[in-house]
Amino acid sequence: MIVNNGGTENLEITMSSINTRSHKAQKVIERMGKKLNRQIVGSLVACVHCGMCTNACHYVLANPDDPTYAPAYKADQIRKFFKKHYDWTGRVLPWWVKAKSLYTDEDLEELKDTVFGKCTNCRRCSINCPMGVDYATFNRMARGLLVSVGVMPEGVAVVSKDQWEIGNQMGVLKEDYVDTLEWLAEELQEEWGDPNATIPIDRTNADVVYSINPREVKYDPRTISDAALIFYAAGENWTMPSECWDMTNFGLFSGDDDLGGAVARRLYEKVEELSGKTLVISECGHGYRSTRCEGPNWGKLDVKFPMESSVITMLRYIREGRIKVDKSKNTTPVTFHDSCNNARSCGLFEEPRELLNLVCSDFREMYPNRTENYCCTGGGGAMSMSEYTPRRLKSAKIKADQLKATGAEIVVTSCHNCVDGLTDLIRHYKLGMQVTQLVNLVANALVIEKKVMVPVEEITADLAGYRILVADDEPDFVTFVATILEDNGAAVMRAYDGDEAIKMARHEKPDLMTLDITMPGKSGIEVFEMLKKDDDLKSIPVCVITGKPELRKLIYDRPTTPDGYMDKPITEENLLINIRKILKVHHHQETVESKKQI
Amino acid sequence: MPTFTYGDISIEVDEDGFMQEPEQWNEEIAKALASTEGVEEMTEDHWKLANYLRDYYLKFGIAPMIRKLCKETGFSLKYVYEMYPSGPAKGACKVAGLPKPTGCV
Repeated sequence: MIVNNGGTENLEITMSSINTRSHKAQKVIERMGKKLNRQIVGSLVACVHCGMCTNACHYVLANPDDPTYAPAYKADQIRKFFKKHYDWTGRVLPWWVKAKSLYTDEDLEELKDTVFGKCTNCRRCSINCPMGVDYATFNRMARGLLVSVGVMPEGVAVVSKDQWEIGNQMGVLKEDYVDTLEWLAEELQEEWGDPNATIPIDRTNADVVYSINPREVKYDPRTISDAALIFYAAGENWTMPSECWDMTNFGLFSGDDDLGGAVARRLYEKVEELSGKTLVISECGHGYRSTRCEGPNWGKLDVKFPMESSVITMLRYIREGRIKVDKSKNTTPVTFHDSCNNARSCGLFEEPRELLNLVCSDFREMYPNRTENYCCTGGGGAMSMSEYTPRRLKSAKIKADQLKATGAEIVVTSCHNCVDGLTDLIRHYKLGMQVTQLVNLVANALVIEKKVMVPVEEITADLAGYRILVADDEPDFVTFVATILEDNGAAVMRAYDGDEAIKMARHEKPDLMTLDITMPGKSGIEVFEMLKKDDDLKSIPVCVITGKPELRKLIYDRPTTPDGYMDKPITEENLLINIRKILKVHHHQETVESKKQI
Repeated sequence: MPTFTYGDISIEVDEDGFMQEPEQWNEEIAKALASTEGVEEMTEDHWKLANYLRDYYLKFGIAPMIRKLCKETGFSLKYVYEMYPSGPAKGACKVAGLPKPTGCV
């Protein structure tokens, strides 16, 4: 169908546009040729104007007398200049297929009003189209064309600029970000009386690298605290990067693939730099779609590590028994709002329900739901375009009715945009509901045994006064060993890889160290070797604990052997016997040596 | 551009109800805007927070991070949300006469 014969086409555009077409309109038409792909062209030519999309759109349902909101009508505003310049039907029978070019800057302003102000790119019409027309995709393309000539709502321009220049969409500076995380960590430690309840920044070889939306750190960090508490409870080896932590992406809203690719690339490169194993994306619909699904395409990148929504991470922890939850802690009736990007574009709709049913006692379904749910009306960047707020709130009538019918008092959603869109419409329609996210409910339902702080003089356990460093890359194992040692009075430090172990040994000079052999970065053998060669550290007794008994030979073939050795799995009794023995022998040796010196 | 009227007050606001000309802000306007944000009475603490936001905005041209706000005023995050139910970004900034914060808020 498509006729795009490069040079001739451009020549024609150039010739016909002299004195008649504005520079910007000319550029939009020229640049469209580069954006056309199979999916977009298929969507542009396949529409038969059957009207199935009309009732799929919340704008239409709220404005039944205004045909300009119908998806097919909106699509035709883009289709007409595609037909005029890139489709043979428009050249041969322009009047028949309603082909019409763009000429003036006013034409572009009109197009802007449609593509930014009358559609949230929610894709509900797309999934209801029998011809498979994905209007939202070429609506986004049209946004990108307008943005390329500087025609866009001011809000989109400001946010895009911050994301290009400062690296996150709210212009949060590194020192402010780090300061906020440290503050949250302090509060967490105070609340739980445990110095390990922290937010590790830039830790390498973490199993989870956690990325967030700037609004969390700038305005409402309760979601970060709750996530940190969940990671702490699960004994996760996790981290947050000090830079390139923004998983949102205005490229999705503005249609600017270059911005989309640049933003996604920063985050991917940061995860690789930290040797993170999995990138976890906090509850944000467009962030999840941009980072996990679209980013690699925009940036033309091959991403080697897995990426998952924090919803899946939390569900995993419960399934694996890493955290315990009590649903009787959340008894207020809740309903769930599916974000367009999560549900329709990424297929994430069963997991949040499973999680909700585990942490809430009264979950009420909203109708329609899952991929058929209506938009929160704040999607597609609409929350940052104030000029369209009255339209947005009018169209929100559909969502308001849907929310009201559930009878729930709290609406839960896995998207920050939806949180703000819903909060706005709930206030506008006076529904008196609260909006929250799964992370808040999971954190509230957590069952954590608060560590009792026993004053030092009351400790009678025999390991009291000893400082022990536990080095192992398995967080569960570290927690297991540390708990046993702490219960017997020892002060425990934790290291999750070889480099960290050396660093902590040097810094803390522990009385004993337990050491795993197979670890990322420096292996246990290398760590052992380094310790024994270092005059300051060689006196620290080491107990090797490994899951690979075949490696025993390796370590015992060396001139200096470790003070203790244990095979995994270990029992509490066995561990304590070994640790006590090593400390006793070591203490005896030290006494003998000091006597000799005297 | 819509106009917000409350008693004798009439000011230009954007479609989300944020002031267009922040320099015209005064206490009467703050009280009027507070009525739209679920704030029943502007207590001493409400003023302390609003004045801090305003001073910061006039100095730096943007809204402060919540961390700074809590640190400087000594208020806890929970208390900030109790005072301004729509939160620091929307509620408190609006009452303090700041323009709408940018981004997804």
